[in-house]
Amino acid sequence: MKEITGVEDLRLKFPGTDSLLLKDFSISIKKGEKVLLLGPSGSGKSTLLQVLTGLIPNSVEVPMKAKRVNIPKSWGFLFQDPDTQFCMPYVDEEIAFVLENLAIARDEMRHYITDYLKQVGLQFEDIHTPIQSLSGGMKQRLAIASVLALEADVLFLDEPTAMLDPTGTLEVWETVKKIGENKTLVIVEHKIEQVIDFIDRIILLNDDGVIVADGTKKEIFSDYKHVLVEQGIWYPGVWEDYLRNRSSPNETNAKKPIVTLKEFDVYRGKEKKVHIKDLTVNQGEWITVLGENGAGKSTWLLGLMNLLKTKGCYQIDNQDARRLSKLTDYFAFVFQNPEFQFVTNSVFDEIAYTLRLQNWSEDQIVRKVETLLARFHLQPYAKQHPYHLSMGQKRRLSVAAATVMEQPVLLLDEPTFGQDARNTFAILEQLQQMRNKGTTIIMITHDCHIVKHFATRVLYINDGRLTLDCLPLQYMEEKQQSLEV
Amino acid sequence: MPFELSYRQTWLHKINPSFKFLLVIALFIYLIFVDNPNLMVNYAIGSVGLYFFFTGHPWKRLLLIALPFLLVFVTSSTSMIFFGEGEETLFNWGLVHITKESLFRGLHLGIRGMVFAILGVVFSLTTRPVLLFYSLMQQLKLKPKYAYSFMAAIRLLPIMLEELQTLRHALKVRGAVGGKGIRGFYEKIKAFAIPMLSQSIRRAHRIAIAMEAKRFLNVNNRTNYYQIGFSKFDVLLLLYFIGVGVLAQFASVNFPYFGIEDVRVIG
Repeated sequence: MKEITGVEDLRLKFPGTDSLLLKDFSISIKKGEKVLLLGPSGSGKSTLLQVLTGLIPNSVEVPMKAKRVNIPKSWGFLFQDPDTQFCMPYVDEEIAFVLENLAIARDEMRHYITDYLKQVGLQFEDIHTPIQSLSGGMKQRLAIASVLALEADVLFLDEPTAMLDPTGTLEVWETVKKIGENKTLVIVEHKIEQVIDFIDRIILLNDDGVIVADGTKKEIFSDYKHVLVEQGIWYPGVWEDYLRNRSSPNETNAKKPIVTLKEFDVYRGKEKKVHIKDLTVNQGEWITVLGENGAGKSTWLLGLMNLLKTKGCYQIDNQDARRLSKLTDYFAFVFQNPEFQFVTNSVFDEIAYTLRLQNWSEDQIVRKVETLLARFHLQPYAKQHPYHLSMGQKRRLSVAAATVMEQPVLLLDEPTFGQDARNTFAILEQLQQMRNKGTTIIMITHDCHIVKHFATRVLYINDGRLTLDCLPLQYMEEKQQSLEV
Repeated sequence: MPFELSYRQTWLHKINPSFKFLLVIALFIYLIFVDNPNLMVNYAIGSVGLYFFFTGHPWKRLLLIALPFLLVFVTSSTSMIFFGEGEETLFNWGLVHITKESLFRGLHLGIRGMVFAILGVVFSLTTRPVLLFYSLMQQLKLKPKYAYSFMAAIRLLPIMLEELQTLRHALKVRGAVGGKGIRGFYEKIKAFAIPMLSQSIRRAHRIAIAMEAKRFLNVNNRTNYYQIGFSKFDVLLLLYFIGVGVLAQFASVNFPYFGIEDVRVIG
């Protein structure tokens, strides 16, 4: 088979960094291959895709040198963030943008647009639909439609489902599978469960951007498992391996209610978004909140934090929550995007922030912050700006900073979102430790493994209503049954 | 989405956006040289008519948007009314010295400011940004590079609004109330501006790459999804303003509201 894309002896360095990201790197991909690039965050996978498409150095100016770069004649690129793929406000206009670039005659455009949308399974009454009104999965499928419009033979996919919920993820990979049959696929992806069955070759990179393994998926998963573990990469069976080494959690049986809700409504503007009829949260529980995107999970948490207007009975520790002078004494909140929570210029100050507001003495602060830095493995970065941390470090810092007052209840909005295996387990362990000390955890997640192995209770929210309140095991069984039906 | 307003399409929506744009600019320039308050009031009536009857938006929304017009009127007139020079004193209290001359000049300025505002709003209520930029590319030969940059930027605005909301919540949760006074204000600006800017820059960069991945730049002979042409409605708008102009002139001579023909020379 002929090579369709590749690079030889690539050297590349981002300005401002000391070492080369990729050094004497060579790769060759043949026509029709379905390749998965695996590696820890920061190993240069996304960069490599951009080099293979010529986006580096043509569009993004990064100093690089290579003996030979083979850019395919026609290629399409699917990016990670569904919100930054598009430059036009409407579905039809976005695909038309590609057709305009290819100088397709105007009167043929409508026909093409409907055709491409049909291929990715998107159907609208009117193709002039605002992109803003689509779900994440639909947006990514629209992005695939614009790639189809490019008539691309080679598709580069850079974690296209990292920001999607399970339904969206499934939709996107089904579509890729369908349209990718006769094409060459080069995929970078963390969540490999859905990808693995249509991949035939895996290339494994390590922290330093060096290829440590290259072969069929069978070879990789049997012969190079230790590398996958070492680099903290997701692989089939990673959970089973992790659980085997885990000490079993302490069960707390104290049934002291900490949060009580009765006929509790949360409003966004004038609209009632969430209604909880009756719910008691007990101390020491680990509650996972499940539901589709837009069902009202985040709205509910924001309502609990008094950030949105609420009505009905809401008690914390037998006191009216709205009369409490400081709700933040009871609740800590960790947002989905950690960056939004950072208010200072260094990791140390970030954790010390709330303590300083509480007028702790500087001695006490230093002691407390140091313990937390140690516990969250952040000591070497104490003086760094929070924005300069990696994804996983930012997430850990946001949890550390939010929980510094050791509030009895911790609310988290998808804390393991977009994290690699190593970081996910690190966060879960921290949470487990806190729970062992009596903290109550309420956490939004889409990850069934967390539900199964960490949670003590499952709440399912559908269209703003609590439709299921049960033990994790019951939930898993019901899910299994509904899948079989 | 709350940022997408529904409205009825009227003939004002069908006008060539570039033409509308240039016409409004021309009116702005012309109005700067109008010194007859009678004439100015008539122009105001003409623009208000366009605003209330032909923009196709519901009355409630139009009245709501009209509130700031009042603010424009008050702010642009008061400084002249209170502190302008003049001979014939009407009211005097400390620094405030209202004279007949300053009163009329102030009112004149206020009305002019209002007409500007109304015309501007009429334009933006009846023009879709995307069509404006297509028209600017086709009729005024704006480079696609700039047109599409603007269109992409407009797409970012609702995302930024959402982000602002999240940021406000996050800061509140952290207890970031900030100090009072100038220092507190400075800290607040910093707390909002830095994360918003850093996100926006990153996002803009990503959109730019995505656009180039869709072969945006290596094109010389691009086609257009929307072909924006001219129609009878363009003539209609031109006639409307000529009509308003003629009527305004006629009425200001024959049925003046004030006995002043030029605010620069009163008394």
